[in-house]
Amino acid sequence: MIQEIADALAQSWHNFATAFVLFVPRLVAATIIFGVGFLVALVARRVIQRGLTWLQFDRLSMRSGASEMLRTADMPAAEVLIAKIIFWIVWLGFMVSAVDTLQFGPFRGLVEEFFRLVPRFLVALLVLVLGFLFANFLWRATLLASVNAGLPGARLLSGSLRVLVIALGVVMALEQIGLATSVVLTAFAITFGALMLGLAIAFGLGGREAARELLEEQLRSKKERNSDPAPHL
Amino acid sequence: MEHESTLSDALLRQLIAVGQVDILVGLPTMNNASTIVDVLRAVHLSFTRDFPRLRTVMINSDGGSTDGTQDLVRSASFLESEMVQTSHPLRTLHRVMAPYHGLPGKHTALRAIFAASELTQAKVVAVIDPSGPATTAERVTELIAIIAESKVEFLTPRYRRHPRDGVLITQLVRPLVRTLYAIGLDEPLGGEFGCSGRFASHCLEQEIWNYESARFAIDLWLRTEAATQRFSVGQIWRPASSPAPGRATLRDVIHQVVLSLVESMRAHESFWLTANHFTELPTWGNDPVAASDPAPWDFQSLAEQARHDITEITPLLREVLEPTVGAGVVAITNGSKPRFDDELWVRTVYGFAAAIRHGRVSLDHLADMFAPVYMWRAAAFMSQTVREKPATVQKRLDSLCDTFQRLKPALVASWSDETVRSR
Repeated sequence: MIQEIADALAQSWHNFATAFVLFVPRLVAATIIFGVGFLVALVARRVIQRGLTWLQFDRLSMRSGASEMLRTADMPAAEVLIAKIIFWIVWLGFMVSAVDTLQFGPFRGLVEEFFRLVPRFLVALLVLVLGFLFANFLWRATLLASVNAGLPGARLLSGSLRVLVIALGVVMALEQIGLATSVVLTAFAITFGALMLGLAIAFGLGGREAARELLEEQLRSKKERNSDPAPHL
Repeated sequence: MEHESTLSDALLRQLIAVGQVDILVGLPTMNNASTIVDVLRAVHLSFTRDFPRLRTVMINSDGGSTDGTQDLVRSASFLESEMVQTSHPLRTLHRVMAPYHGLPGKHTALRAIFAASELTQAKVVAVIDPSGPATTAERVTELIAIIAESKVEFLTPRYRRHPRDGVLITQLVRPLVRTLYAIGLDEPLGGEFGCSGRFASHCLEQEIWNYESARFAIDLWLRTEAATQRFSVGQIWRPASSPAPGRATLRDVIHQVVLSLVESMRAHESFWLTANHFTELPTWGNDPVAASDPAPWDFQSLAEQARHDITEITPLLREVLEPTVGAGVVAITNGSKPRFDDELWVRTVYGFAAAIRHGRVSLDHLADMFAPVYMWRAAAFMSQTVREKPATVQKRLDSLCDTFQRLKPALVASWSDETVRSR
């Protein structure tokens, strides 16, 4: 009995020792990957940030309206944010590699998953940036055109368009990375549909008089707004 | 040769038949049926009476008139009995029709006229604006004779206006052009001018003709090109007249003027960035001295429109202007009466120029944003000077020019600063 217990302990110790001997090099390798990854990510962040500064990326972010939005959300400047994102992508890549080196059962295939996600994430980021860019252009163009035409509620109209386009961009970006796709799409479709239906009903039933007055006012003020340039030249 | 691509084969044949000329008068037309016959008569009389020994040609460059302008030009014949002539032409009077092709607009018409001038080796070129003030033979002769007899190579009209007249000119175009180019140019815009054949040939070689913006910018560009390329520039007194009614609205005109100013600033930046020594221009003709009162217009309504529009585009103004300037512009529109002090106005104009230079927003959008700001300034100026004597108002205009001049270093600094970052 005692002998059996001793054998079991010996066997267990042997197994542990074997596993430990096998694990330690992996742990060391993982630690090195983790550390080197941190350094590489740090360098990548610096390079990206300086490159974007040199390319005057802040102008693009300002034009796209992203700067203003980031400022409102108390977040860093766009080039700093992108550099940080790159830092985390690179370091996460190394971390996943490090974990994979440890060969833990539950984390098998993590590397493949990660590297499948990265391109999708970058495309999503691009979609988001383009969405901001387009939304801001549309906002500015609509605001100026409405103001020039003397339309009432120019800011509301242009602001709504901007929010709509940004929302569309966010939904497309989320769909790209496959994050809660069905929930996001359904929520967007319901919100957008409800909004449009609500506006149609409100305008059609409750706002007929207002719409008539609005159009009449428009026609009246059109002549006044189209001032004669003669006294100015 | 530049004219080969600019002139049609038919026009080339006509011009070759004309041969060399001394004087070329160009008439760029576009639906000017109501005035063209009088203009033709004036040019014809000027040629026959005042330049009988010189070789002359009149070129009508039409942009596709639909009101019969071309037919009137083609069929116009002036009997000697119709005119008071002191002498008879000793040479053939040529009249050439040159419907132009290419980009629509006055610049294409002028290009065709300049190309014809180069081909015929004209010594003097006079361009008459058929939609402008009533043209007389004396006026045509003056324009031609000064170029022919003096060293001046570009001659532009100068009007004796009431200081409250032509607000866009007095509040923006004139002070800005005088400041940038350091020349005493009174009327930087306008269709009528005279120039030497050498200047016409010089202009033909430039890139401006291919730009879409040249459609609006060509009048200002010609004047600034003459000044920056060291051609001798002069002015000639002309009686003031109201601009012909057009289909463009005030906002359209502001938009076009902004595009013109920007085009000239871009084209001549190497000159104006360093131009500091102010030069007064020689002026010919008789100063009319007295100017008639300007026609009244509703500047209160303009102020209300401007107030509304500035409130609406406040986020855009804050985006393109320096924070203090943007906030200042928004703040002044909160007052009950329109007010806009000179320094803030000049800083706003320079702020827009810097925003354009550094590409913060597209040029069209900036021009649209500028419209209500100008409208507020115009209303403020008119409101402030409503009870003032012309001499007092004139002092205000002079003071505005001084402010533009005093703050020019700030514009030069922001325009030249490649490291300027968008906020």
